[in-house]
Amino acid sequence: MAAIDSVALRVFVYDEILARGKPPSLASIASHFAVSPPDARGALANLKIGKTILVDPTSGEIWMAGPFAAKESSYRVVGDRQSWWANCAWDMLGVAMIANEPVNIESRCTDCGDPMTIRGDPTAPPASEAVVHFLVPARRWYDDIGFT
Amino acid sequence: MSLFRSEDHVRRWTRANGYEIGAVVTLAQVWQLAKAWYTDPRSPEWRPRRRDQSQAVIASVGLTGAFWELPG
Repeated sequence: MAAIDSVALRVFVYDEILARGKPPSLASIASHFAVSPPDARGALANLKIGKTILVDPTSGEIWMAGPFAAKESSYRVVGDRQSWWANCAWDMLGVAMIANEPVNIESRCTDCGDPMTIRGDPTAPPASEAVVHFLVPARRWYDDIGFT
Repeated sequence: MSLFRSEDHVRRWTRANGYEIGAVVTLAQVWQLAKAWYTDPRSPEWRPRRRDQSQAVIASVGLTGAFWELPG
């Protein structure tokens, strides 16, 4: 297997997300590092950085790269030059931190479905009466990360 | 971790869906948590946290007690 430096891969994944709004595909990773797609898949699987980057077990493609979601979610984070999807209400603010810029978060109340727009500023907490509900206790967060 | 307009909406949603309320946290506190938790993974100094480090981050924003105990 051709080797990809794990730090270079991590940096590439997040550079791509910030620039393009979504994680790079296996094909894109393979092309960037001049390796085969199976080698790119193996490199992603072997990153071993906890729960930070998770891959779809079937396709091998990036499923989430915390705090970013690879696919559409209930949390759209809109920056000056790019927009992203966040995995959850915690991660929507995490995106503002990683992007390091003020963002507008477009979401809905989980109960009533009313649209909610929240200003996410990495330098100051949002002025909002909204709350976040943690349904699952921390000891079970990783049992089913999609549900959590 | 889901967004709600208020705690009343959390109560209504959990009742309607047959769940117990877990923990309701203000958006300001979740902002603090996000700021402490999410550092730029592109930084050369970035390292995955150990469990005890993650637990310390959670506690640093005032989230303590059994509900917030990460798996061992």
